[in-house]
Amino acid sequence: MLHKPGFVLSDGTTLDDLIDRDMNEVSMRVMDDAELYHHEMERIFAKTWLLLGHDSEIPKSGDYVVRDMGEDNVIVARARDGQINVSLNVCPHRGMKVCTAEAGNAPIHRCIYHGWAFRPDGSFIGAPIEKEQMHGSKRTKDELGLKKARVHIYGGLIFATWNIEGPSFDEFLGDAKYYLDQLFCRTDSGLELLGPPQRFVLPCNWKIPSEQSASDGFHTLTLHRSLMEGGVMGGTAESIYDNAPGMYGVDVGFEQGHSLRCLEAAQTFKMFSDMSFEGKTLDERLEMLPPPGITKELIPQLHKNLSPAQVEQLATIPPQVGGMFPNVLVAFIFAPRTDGGSSGALALHAYVPRGPHQVEFVNFIFAEKDCPEQMKRDMLQNSIQQTGTSGLIEQDDADTWPQIQRAARGVMSKTQTLKYQAIHGHEKPEGWQGGGYCYPGFTKDDTQWNWWLAYHRLMSADA
Amino acid sequence: MIDRSTASADQSAIVRGLVSKVRVPLGSEIYNRILETLYDEAAALDERRFDDWVAMLAEDLVYTAPIRLTRNGVNKDRDVMRTMMHFDDTYESLLLRTGRLTKSAWAEDPPSRTRRFVTNVRVGELDAPEEYEVISYLYVERSRLSVPENEQTSGERRDVWRNVGGVYKLARREIILDQSTLSMANLAIFL
Repeated sequence: MLHKPGFVLSDGTTLDDLIDRDMNEVSMRVMDDAELYHHEMERIFAKTWLLLGHDSEIPKSGDYVVRDMGEDNVIVARARDGQINVSLNVCPHRGMKVCTAEAGNAPIHRCIYHGWAFRPDGSFIGAPIEKEQMHGSKRTKDELGLKKARVHIYGGLIFATWNIEGPSFDEFLGDAKYYLDQLFCRTDSGLELLGPPQRFVLPCNWKIPSEQSASDGFHTLTLHRSLMEGGVMGGTAESIYDNAPGMYGVDVGFEQGHSLRCLEAAQTFKMFSDMSFEGKTLDERLEMLPPPGITKELIPQLHKNLSPAQVEQLATIPPQVGGMFPNVLVAFIFAPRTDGGSSGALALHAYVPRGPHQVEFVNFIFAEKDCPEQMKRDMLQNSIQQTGTSGLIEQDDADTWPQIQRAARGVMSKTQTLKYQAIHGHEKPEGWQGGGYCYPGFTKDDTQWNWWLAYHRLMSADA
Repeated sequence: MIDRSTASADQSAIVRGLVSKVRVPLGSEIYNRILETLYDEAAALDERRFDDWVAMLAEDLVYTAPIRLTRNGVNKDRDVMRTMMHFDDTYESLLLRTGRLTKSAWAEDPPSRTRRFVTNVRVGELDAPEEYEVISYLYVERSRLSVPENEQTSGERRDVWRNVGGVYKLARREIILDQSTLSMANLAIFL
């Protein structure tokens, strides 16, 4: 990869002009700048670990899905040896997309243009008319495979990066792993993706949803007011700002830009507001209210796969929403059902850049593989009704973000700043076992500001 | 055990045209009444008369929109993936949706201006008495805020309408949109 030192935009603007680290302000220009976007693709999307899917999508040898790493289209395929490979979906011959479908099973991927053929691990098999040596003699077959990304599977989630020598996946997760393990690595069989992801595009820059995913709890009170009006979250429509349901908890942020909001169910949701854990043992509490997506039958597996401190956290103040830098939202939430009961909604969103002014919203919906079919059905329905394309919660986000984008076009508007000045400062609650920076109390801007600091760090590193 | 893997074709049967073998001919009394009902429904939704729309729904309604996936080779026509949906609703959950629209639903406040075009209507008789299979094409233009470019979507709707005392009620709707990646920023409108 080319070596490029820290950048200056063509009009002389530097990263420090755009991100004011003394004032905790970010220029709105960052949402509407094609040149900056180009740098982001090189310095972030070609450098860090990106979420592509889940191994339950491609269980058999030859199974594949086609996904995107930034604007690079890739084939995510299971090879004969069972390993998952991620290869650039660009024919090394004349640049045609090798795989034109979005999913399927193929022992061989043959480019429809001139017929060059590749295995699911990306290696080059050959060009048609073998005896005529149509790949020439300047390069060996070993050099003519599809460009391969580095892959890591975490809790079944498929991550990849072009940064072959860069930080390991564990370094990328850092202290967030302790919390994310509670969501992704808690049962023997793990999670299952319930179907191919929902996908839709929004006319806004990828950073607008992504900075929100860095645990912007505060927007819930106003943008998602209908959750309070509908009686989902505690309080009444008249007293939303007085009792501020769901705003109190422990936000946890990490140097890498990830973050999670750990929330007590009783404090957030009306349906649990009468529930008291007073004097109850850990297992009694877990039985009363299993964490989202977990059944009573799966509780013993939590003890087996997690540390006692992690189980304790899941039982009392589980991580429910948050984000993984640069572009993933995590939502493992308690969700009410129309019949008055509750189930869980487990979803991840990837916000995939589609140019400076467009983002693709990819909504992955999960359940525990070993939970009953009826529960999977309930959770799927719940996730679809709350999140993604038609989701009652996220319709409001999807309508808001493009309006910020349109504002960022204005000569005056783009000089305005996004403000992250409600800073709590980190302090670890007594007895808290997890790492990272903890922000107990009312949700503030700390975790989102960490996100921008992580962005600043990657953008100012040599590309 | 359901095979939910994205790569699998098992969950995506090919469905084409009317399932019913008994056609309700164009221009017949029943066909005309159903066509009128579809036009009335489109008008109720375009004019945001949601109470009128809900009155057209049967209480056992199942309302879904499966996702599409681009596939090739032997699976090229198995592109409707019913393991995942854009809408997965019942009568009760649609009431939640319409109820929300009367409160702080910023996604539709201010509201979109919409125009639903319903065409290519084919009707067949079902085994259940007074139930009709109704397939229609839907094209929607949606004007949002002051944005001069409209959002659009197109698809096929596979419905069951039930004649209840001379009034047709929607008992089943599957909306098969044409895009695998939707260009509409949200589905805060009904299709």
